[in-house]
Amino acid sequence: MPFSFLNPWFWLGALVVAAPIWLHLRRKRETNVVEFAALRFLDDQPEPRRSPLRLRDVVLFALRVLALLLVLAAFAWPYLRGADTAPIKESRVYILDNTLSHQANDGFTRDRDRVLSEVSKGASDIQMAVIELTSAPRVVVSFGENREAAKQKLKALEPSFQRGSYLAAFRQANSLLGNSLGEQKRIILLGDNQENQWTEQADTPAFLRNVQVDLPKITALALPNLSLSEPRVQRIFLGDKSLVNFTVKLSHAGEAKTADIVLRANEQVIFNRAVELENQPETILLQAQWEADPATWLRGEATVDGTPDALAGDNRVFFSLAPVIEGKVALLAQSPYLRLALSPEVMRGQWATRVLEPTKLAAELAGTEDADVLVVESNYLQSGDARKLLWRYVTNGRGVVLLVNRVTPSISGCLRELGFEAEGTVSTEKGSAERFQFVYSNHPIFHPFLSPDYGSLMDVKVSKYVQLKGSQAMPLIFSEKGAGLFFQGTKFPGKLFVAAFGLDREHTSWPIDQTFIPFLDLTLQTARAEDPAPTTFEPGEISKIQLPAGLAVREAVLRDERRVLIRAPVEQGRAQVRMPDKPGVYTLSYDDGTQVEKMFSVNPSPKESRLTYVDAPEALKMWRVNLPPGTGKPGAPAAWGKMSLSGILQQRWWWWMVMGGLAALMLEMALADAKVRQAR
Amino acid sequence: MPTATQTLSERFDPKMLAALEGLDFKARYVMEGFLSGLHDSPFHGFSVEFSDYRNYQPGDDLRHLDWRLYARSDRLCIKRYMQETNARFYIVCDTSASMRYQGGAAWGSKLECAKVLAAALTWFLLKQNDAAGMVTLSGEREVPEFIRPSQRPNQFGLMLRQLESLRATGGACLSRLLQDTIRLLHRRSVILFFSDLLEPSDDVAMGFKQLRFHGHEVIIFQVLDRDETEFPFTESRLFEDLETGERRMVTPAAARESYLARFNAFMDAHRELFRSLEMTHCVVRTDENPWRALALFLEERKRLK
Repeated sequence: MPFSFLNPWFWLGALVVAAPIWLHLRRKRETNVVEFAALRFLDDQPEPRRSPLRLRDVVLFALRVLALLLVLAAFAWPYLRGADTAPIKESRVYILDNTLSHQANDGFTRDRDRVLSEVSKGASDIQMAVIELTSAPRVVVSFGENREAAKQKLKALEPSFQRGSYLAAFRQANSLLGNSLGEQKRIILLGDNQENQWTEQADTPAFLRNVQVDLPKITALALPNLSLSEPRVQRIFLGDKSLVNFTVKLSHAGEAKTADIVLRANEQVIFNRAVELENQPETILLQAQWEADPATWLRGEATVDGTPDALAGDNRVFFSLAPVIEGKVALLAQSPYLRLALSPEVMRGQWATRVLEPTKLAAELAGTEDADVLVVESNYLQSGDARKLLWRYVTNGRGVVLLVNRVTPSISGCLRELGFEAEGTVSTEKGSAERFQFVYSNHPIFHPFLSPDYGSLMDVKVSKYVQLKGSQAMPLIFSEKGAGLFFQGTKFPGKLFVAAFGLDREHTSWPIDQTFIPFLDLTLQTARAEDPAPTTFEPGEISKIQLPAGLAVREAVLRDERRVLIRAPVEQGRAQVRMPDKPGVYTLSYDDGTQVEKMFSVNPSPKESRLTYVDAPEALKMWRVNLPPGTGKPGAPAAWGKMSLSGILQQRWWWWMVMGGLAALMLEMALADAKVRQAR
Repeated sequence: MPTATQTLSERFDPKMLAALEGLDFKARYVMEGFLSGLHDSPFHGFSVEFSDYRNYQPGDDLRHLDWRLYARSDRLCIKRYMQETNARFYIVCDTSASMRYQGGAAWGSKLECAKVLAAALTWFLLKQNDAAGMVTLSGEREVPEFIRPSQRPNQFGLMLRQLESLRATGGACLSRLLQDTIRLLHRRSVILFFSDLLEPSDDVAMGFKQLRFHGHEVIIFQVLDRDETEFPFTESRLFEDLETGERRMVTPAAARESYLARFNAFMDAHRELFRSLEMTHCVVRTDENPWRALALFLEERKRLK
């Protein structure tokens, strides 16, 4: 049975035993020897039979030393180590990659079984811990945990759809090893060595010191995959129709020639068609429009199917769209096209327009009910009240669409305050009007125009515009000569869109273009102050949901189609919700109500769909601390497994040591006394 | 406690001699005390002596003119002197480890005693215009050190430094010392030999015989400790030989008789040897006044003249 000491440094006291022995022998040597010159006349005398260093009475001496050592041993507090406190040769942390990409070819299941096997049959001198790599890496099995419990926890692990960080997992593993007992420290990554996992966080200070890292052996540098990602859905009003515009990216890698795409919305199949993949770019943007009731929630999914496809988890994306809530527009413009476009005949149910009278702006200023969006032409900004009204909208977080159809010194001053510099007016000759040269198509306003169904923005002509330079604005449309024509201001909390031209025939052909109404609607939708919280998430992502002000809600409830998943308490009007691991559409309601307040779509990260791998990642070299030669091997002695202090103190070996020491002393005294009496 | 009426020789205090630092002081202490105890000054007989006259010649030192003769005879004559002696003396000192021994009653170790005596005699000889030199073995390799005999005033300092540097560290080296002495001395000389002679070897006797054969006069100062001559130990002790490290467990009560018998036989053998070689043999004990040895030497000096 292995024996150990709680206070082993007390053994230093054993040096005390050596001191009197040394002094005693030294003195004997000094006093008993005569260095003599005439020893040749004594050569008939006997040679010394015993060493002068020999002790006179070995038994007494042994008893004294034994007594001292036993007392010292008692102070060192001996205890017996149990069978579960074997010396730890190695501390090992498994990082089990449970990201979506590792589902390819059942990689996760295979590695989970491997960990399960190694934990089951692992030697007692190896400490093991398991970290599950997800969006927030967590310790599934910690050092010293009961093996049966560890096995149960590992068996319960299910493949996830999350994206995780190798760096975070390695940091956590390193932290675990820092407090481990093993002489050798080792991290074993059970993952797929996905390339973008290693490259996106390579630039970090080195932190792995004296840790051996085992990486998985990859069998191929890339796997075939079909995936859908980045679904975007918007409502567009076209005439009297309310359309839903849907786009999704189809990525394909490998030898698949066709892919079957199925689009479902509100349990109706919208689209079901095979898409040719040969000679197509790696990422294809798919788009669909269909008519939908603007007053109802829209929820749907798109799926792709094809072969070969190593990863099925990214073949489906989900989307949702809130019903339309009629917006309010305040219009201060002369443009008849604009007035017509925003009239109830065109925008009924979508936008309610209130036309402001220039002469009654003071009354408007005195009122407190602002519209969602103010559409104003710049020539009205010569009026101080109009400028005040504009200023109130942009500073109160409302939307403003400013059409710069005229520039005067006072208007220039107002533009300057908004972050724009007017540098004169450009008028083209008749027949040489400029077209749109570049449109920021990824912007929510212009994204639907990627489809030709809404007309082409490139057909719009501009014959007269103001040269604007926005120091605090982002241009969204450029003319053929490179002049910015449409901007989004970034200076104010409210959304500000500025057109460098008026919406009448003197300036542009846009009002009579097919794209005008959708553009106007999308611009107003974008300018409207909305809940800034996103509605699309990745699996496991944490969202802070801001509830409407003045709403007395105790908890926010997240549901899927069948059951309640999460009940998050509301504190100070906010609720923190961790999105489910499984992709899908989830609804949010308050307290015990069933009314859908929000709808969230959860889709995997498109990065997880890139099934390319590296064998020897550079990032790992950068994470390692380069030690001078000769210091790479950890020199710490093998430590012993933990045994609780109370367990040690319960063992009374020290008491027996003390008793033994006292017994030895008593025996020594008795012997010494007997010898003295014998000598007398 | 010394009194005012005591002569210096009577006041000899071994402790005081031991306490004096420096061989020079010790030599003067011994020699001056010794000289003050004599009735006749040793300088009287040994000074330079008048030889004859010669006529003055221009250039002669006027200090040597005999003015009395000039007053008596009106003749300018220069006195001529004769150096009384040209004897060469060699100090030969044994530095084997056995010379390190110092008993409880001794004022110094045997080597220290030998060094003091040698220094005192050197001082004395140089005062008498005799030439003094030295042969010793020095260092662990026991290399012979030779100081050529000279009458120069700085010779005393030279020999004193050499004597002070002697350490009793060597093994049995007496026969080698004798051989080196024979080899280095080419002219007939007087050898003052300091040793305890505790080296049992036929080569030692042979060495002395060879010295004699080469015509050297040898005066042997055998330096011994009281412990060696009387063996006064009482308690059982472990005895370790200074030179060989050999050990014997000795019970003095049982061993004394045997020891003294063997020691006396050893001394008798040496006395017989030196008598046969007509060498002067003087036993010097480290706990006694060294003047006895000096007196012996003076007597012998007279004989040699």
